[in-house]
Amino acid sequence: MAIHSTVHNALGIQLTLRILGWFALTTSILCAEIDAQSVCLPAPRLLTTFPMGGQIGTEFEVTVTGQYTELTSDLRFSHPGVTATPVKDSQGNPVNGRYTVRVASNTTPGLVEASLMTRLGLSASRIFTIGSLTEVTQDKGNLSVEDAMPLQLDTVCNCTMTARSIDHYRFVAEQGQRILVDCAAKGIDSKLNPVVVVADENGQDLVVERRGGAIEFRVPSSGSYIVKVHDLTFKGGEHYFYRLNLRVLPDQAIAKRHFRTSQVSSFSWPPQGVADHALLKEVEPNGVDAPQRIELPCDIEGAFAKAADTDVFEFQGKKGDAWWIEIASERLGCPTDPTVVVQRVGSDSGEVVLQDVAELNDIPSPVKVSSNGYAYDGPPYNAGSSDVLGKFEIKEDGLHRVRLSDLFGGTRNDPSNVYRLIIRKAKPDFALVAWGLHMPLRNGDRNALSKPIALRGGATMALEVVSIRRDGFDGEIHLSMDNLPDGVTATGLSIPPNQNRGIVLITAHENAPRGMTVAEIWGSASVQGKEIKRECHLASMAWPVPNHWSEVPSPRLVADVLVSVGGDETTPITIAPRQVKVWEGTEGEKISIPLVHMRRGEFSGAVMAAKTLGAGFEKFQFELPLDKDSSEAVLDLAALKTPPGDYRIAFYGGAVAKYQHYPAGVDIASANVDRLNAVHVELKSKAENIQKMLQAASEEAKGMLNAELQNVNEEQKRVAGEIKAAAIQLKNATSAAKAKDIVDIVVSEPVNIRVHPRKEQ
Amino acid sequence: MAHFLRSCVLICCLVACLGKADASDDIPFSFENDIVPVLTKAGCNSGVCHAKAGGGQNGFELSLLGFEPWDDYEHLVMAGRGRRLFPSAPDQSLLLRKASGKTPHRGGIVLPEDSNGYQLVKRWIAGGTPKGDSTVLVTNIQVIPQSNTIKPGEKLQLKVFAHYSNGMSREVTDLALYESNDLGMATVTDGGMVTALDLPGRVGVMVRFQGLVNVFNAAIPLGTASVHPEPLNFIDEHVFRNLELIGVGSSRLCDDATFVRRVTLDIAGRIPSSTEAREFLLDDDPEKRSKLIDRLLQSPSYADYFANKWTALLKNRRDDASDITSNFAFHAWVRDSLLANVPYDQLVRELLAATGTVIANPAVAWYKRVKEPKQQMEDVAQLFLGVRMQCAQCHHHPFERWSQDDYYGLSAFFTRVGRKPTGIQGEDLIFHQRGKAEAKNVKTGQMVTPVALGQDVGVIAPDEDPRLRLSKWLSDPGNPFFAKALVNRYWKHFFKRGLIEPEDDIRDTNPASNPALLKALEDHFLSSGFDLKELVRAITNSRAYQLQAVPSDSNLVDRQNYSRFYPRRLQAEVLLDAIDELTGSTTNFANLPLGTKAIALPDNSYNKSSPFLRVFGRPESLSVCECERVQSASLAQSLHLINAGDIKSKLSVAGGTAQKLAAQKTPVKDRVSELYFAAFSRPPTETELQISVEFLTGQQSEKVDSETLPEITQQQFEDLIWALINTKEFLFNH
Repeated sequence: MAIHSTVHNALGIQLTLRILGWFALTTSILCAEIDAQSVCLPAPRLLTTFPMGGQIGTEFEVTVTGQYTELTSDLRFSHPGVTATPVKDSQGNPVNGRYTVRVASNTTPGLVEASLMTRLGLSASRIFTIGSLTEVTQDKGNLSVEDAMPLQLDTVCNCTMTARSIDHYRFVAEQGQRILVDCAAKGIDSKLNPVVVVADENGQDLVVERRGGAIEFRVPSSGSYIVKVHDLTFKGGEHYFYRLNLRVLPDQAIAKRHFRTSQVSSFSWPPQGVADHALLKEVEPNGVDAPQRIELPCDIEGAFAKAADTDVFEFQGKKGDAWWIEIASERLGCPTDPTVVVQRVGSDSGEVVLQDVAELNDIPSPVKVSSNGYAYDGPPYNAGSSDVLGKFEIKEDGLHRVRLSDLFGGTRNDPSNVYRLIIRKAKPDFALVAWGLHMPLRNGDRNALSKPIALRGGATMALEVVSIRRDGFDGEIHLSMDNLPDGVTATGLSIPPNQNRGIVLITAHENAPRGMTVAEIWGSASVQGKEIKRECHLASMAWPVPNHWSEVPSPRLVADVLVSVGGDETTPITIAPRQVKVWEGTEGEKISIPLVHMRRGEFSGAVMAAKTLGAGFEKFQFELPLDKDSSEAVLDLAALKTPPGDYRIAFYGGAVAKYQHYPAGVDIASANVDRLNAVHVELKSKAENIQKMLQAASEEAKGMLNAELQNVNEEQKRVAGEIKAAAIQLKNATSAAKAKDIVDIVVSEPVNIRVHPRKEQ
Repeated sequence: MAHFLRSCVLICCLVACLGKADASDDIPFSFENDIVPVLTKAGCNSGVCHAKAGGGQNGFELSLLGFEPWDDYEHLVMAGRGRRLFPSAPDQSLLLRKASGKTPHRGGIVLPEDSNGYQLVKRWIAGGTPKGDSTVLVTNIQVIPQSNTIKPGEKLQLKVFAHYSNGMSREVTDLALYESNDLGMATVTDGGMVTALDLPGRVGVMVRFQGLVNVFNAAIPLGTASVHPEPLNFIDEHVFRNLELIGVGSSRLCDDATFVRRVTLDIAGRIPSSTEAREFLLDDDPEKRSKLIDRLLQSPSYADYFANKWTALLKNRRDDASDITSNFAFHAWVRDSLLANVPYDQLVRELLAATGTVIANPAVAWYKRVKEPKQQMEDVAQLFLGVRMQCAQCHHHPFERWSQDDYYGLSAFFTRVGRKPTGIQGEDLIFHQRGKAEAKNVKTGQMVTPVALGQDVGVIAPDEDPRLRLSKWLSDPGNPFFAKALVNRYWKHFFKRGLIEPEDDIRDTNPASNPALLKALEDHFLSSGFDLKELVRAITNSRAYQLQAVPSDSNLVDRQNYSRFYPRRLQAEVLLDAIDELTGSTTNFANLPLGTKAIALPDNSYNKSSPFLRVFGRPESLSVCECERVQSASLAQSLHLINAGDIKSKLSVAGGTAQKLAAQKTPVKDRVSELYFAAFSRPPTETELQISVEFLTGQQSEKVDSETLPEITQQQFEDLIWALINTKEFLFNH
């Protein structure tokens, strides 16, 4: 009886732990940030994994934390070679937030993305590094030279930074060894701005790196050395994680840095059909006094290696030739700003005279980028680049020069600042990148920029798609998506000719089942009579940023276009045209679109100021009543000056919903409290029984009974503590489940319109 | 016209022959060369009188110091419908009536009726206020003698001659302006009579005439027999040679205890720990001083301390909470560069020609705070060249040769700094914007191309970042300012007084107190490849640096010849760290790890939360002038040390020195000795020990058995430490 009871209690405690686990994983964050996220309905986000990477061919445990990740089922990775299964307790029940991750031995080193499947759908992802070095995790408390954590060479240490502290590591190396000390942080989604110091064994600084670079340390004498790591402004916490790589480099070997996420601007590189490496290399010295002779077209690799490095290439130009020149350097991940001047080489009285033909600088952002002000005034993704993409024409036959330099390179010597220079005849093309549509909802808010494409039933989410057009391509680009989950459809609002912005609407049916896919976004166009199709990249912010003053969003490209439906919630309102059809009208007249409002909740405010997405109608605005089941959008084609043609549009705006977060969580928490109370009552009764038994027990039996009583008392204490914690969780869940005003972006389902030409009088 | 030219030549010849500064009755005048100097000498065109910005005084406007003579002519002769001058009755001219006090004049009597100046102006008016020949200009002025030795109390009359573009010369002693650069050493009358006072050393008298300057250098000897240590390096040779010349003796070399404390404070910005001090005193290595210097130069404290100095001058100022990242990055960049001993010219080049973002290249943060090309130029000139260009923006520099073209020529180097917004408000991305570098001279309206303080740097192509050309000019060994400004600044850091004072006002008219030493330091710095640590090494290894602060009879009055070490109060941050070190406490600074030293603070924001740092004069990083740091003493400082809450907290901090000493089971004398080593890097004297022991035990010192372990309360040790903190020996580097 005693044994059975103990087992029963243990089970109960395990269950309690598990429930507490998900509360710890979710609601603790929820409570801390619930106010902060009063913009945009809760969206699941995987915030941290620990460790943040693993070694190829190994299996290890990973702990995750997230935001709005209740009822998580799976931890998913973007690479099939990396798989995860939940850690199970002794009873075979999954332990929330803990997974066993396996990295197949044939996986190649690199970055993958992890995400959690939750009741709200697939979470925003977090970077996870796959490598070949031995992985270790940080010993906490390594905050002084005396407490430095020993690290073997050729290991990676997974760490989190403590605020206002400096982490210390100790390694032993031989004189003359070349050690690469490389700290991965920003490039793996961390908020840490790492400062890395190599110090002598007493902690006296020897070499410091604060710009995100690595330290190549030539060991001056055999012995022990200290590595210190801290944040540039000494911030810390679980979001300030890093992976400290300590590698021995063979002599002469080029130090390869840790893997990094791709910046948004890199979506436009490389152009189609360009090889990984150019056949032609720049040959120094190729400055103003000794230009390097080339022939066009060309594809050249080079580097801004020296301070104020200027590379000059000389070619024979033919009058009337038009050339397109493209330089990649910033898009290759270098902190550079290339600039090109094309000059004709003439002479005057025996003196060389250079005449400017063209000066080319940045690739401008195809859409207005947000200013750095507090209010949101445009997407904070710069799809442009400090690289170069432009055209020049040869006005006269003769010798010409391409003068290439780095506007950021005046004072630094760094051969890793490489570039690729391509000069070609026009090859019209385009590249695409998309991100979640955002709009001004509340000053300072940048929250939605990091939300996943995790759809509630009945919801439509809009992605903003922008293009970089190459070599004069100016045609229309049609947008579409493939491989969507069941119950999900996508509609592309094309990028019109000569423009660079389009929209993709992703709509989940009200009853769409829980599910996820790795989808694809495509752009297609007719180029010189030939249909081409280009895959669109997806960008997102690494972290939700509720206050732009306190944090600058960190954009990067993501690996997969993950589309999911949680299946546990529906959206507060669905707006759709009354009929799925093409709404027709005549140029200069009006078209009325009757709209149906499927309302599933309450709203603060009676109307939504609705705007319009889609070329030809973007100026149209109207007030959409939120307290009615229908409305009508009357499109005045005369005022809008919409020419005849076929259009696809959608209406959108910000609406404040009265949202209750996870009411079922209250029942679960409540049941947990009840269950624990019952366990406590049972334990109390049991203790009383033992005490009674003790009174009549023999001296021999007393020993056993006393021991059992002690066990029961201890369990009672433990359960009492758990009851306390469960009560707090219940309070938190109850608070979260209370209706709160949350402003969110509401997007209608697509509306198809045909505008006929005005009838001839 | 021909007659006028002939007359001009005649006047020049006559004046040269006569050696007088006035014109005879029948000689035509030059307004520029004859009248303007009179007005300047009388102070009419000074900044507080009729050259006051914004219209002069009571409607009568003159250009500052007569730098725009033809504007002055217009104002004097033509303005107010000519009401200021009456050629038919010159004495009734408003100009002369006011200047001579016949009509009420707020400026008082500046040209008495019987003065040469009055008579000259009168004749000029009577002669029809001729403009004269504008082509004849003063090309230079000569002071005779150029230099001399004047014994204390003796006088010397200077004579000044102006040389003109037509080859003529004349004496202008009466019309020249004179100014001593140290009124404690020498005074000078309006007529050029110099009187040497009691302080020995070198003094300069600036002489100005019509926009030109020259200087008379005087050596004032004390005249005593001087004895000096054996020179150890070139610094000693120059310092002791100068002392020999002026007859001032050196103090003796300081002892080891004084040296270890002094050099640790000066290089690392901290007091030595008691262990460091004891070990140094016990060390019998004859090279231990230079080895200590090397150790200190290798230590991160050196980088922290000097980064603290430089970042304040480079305006690493927190105006907004969001500045934290750029300020930390910039401070760290300076600190790391000093730690790595990046050559000074390279450090300055990386700063001036910075491009990119703050995170990728923290030097860019300087352009966040100093946004305008003119401000950039002024800061660079003052900080790195020791030249103050501010005046030359609006008018010719009164004490220097710098014109407005020089001003705009220097600022033209910064006119191609391009900016693009970044995702962070207030932070721009900096790049070189291709194009012709030029700045507009607002006075002439002419565009001025880059010229480096009168030195041609060649044509700068549109593709070239002009800031790189400026950096190249700076690091040229022939640059007359760059290395000089730095060695003078560092000399002042170690000796309290610059060879040129103030350290950022290097000009012909402000001569060095020891020009040969300054030149030698400059040469040494250049030959070392702008090696800052080597400069510090040379300075601190010198005997001159290692002299006692205690004066001898033969150098008691010396204030500028380095015959002894001039004591100075510890800087605010150093003092706070020293108190923390002595009391065993730490000061908690926001956003920084506990234990961060005050000398390692990245910006001025910590002054707000620290009354201590404010009271003791930590700068707010508002200007490039070292003078922003207040090093003077005040009653508030004394009261703070005596009675402030933070001092009390440090004394009684848990786990602090007082608590530890109270708990120590060691003889009381040992504990007192420990405190003295920690505070002063030396053991207590017999008297100090006696007083301390008696205070702690309540018994006479000789009755305290060295083996007994008396109970002493923490409060008693707190009181003793408090007393030590409040001694001059603790508060000063000596």
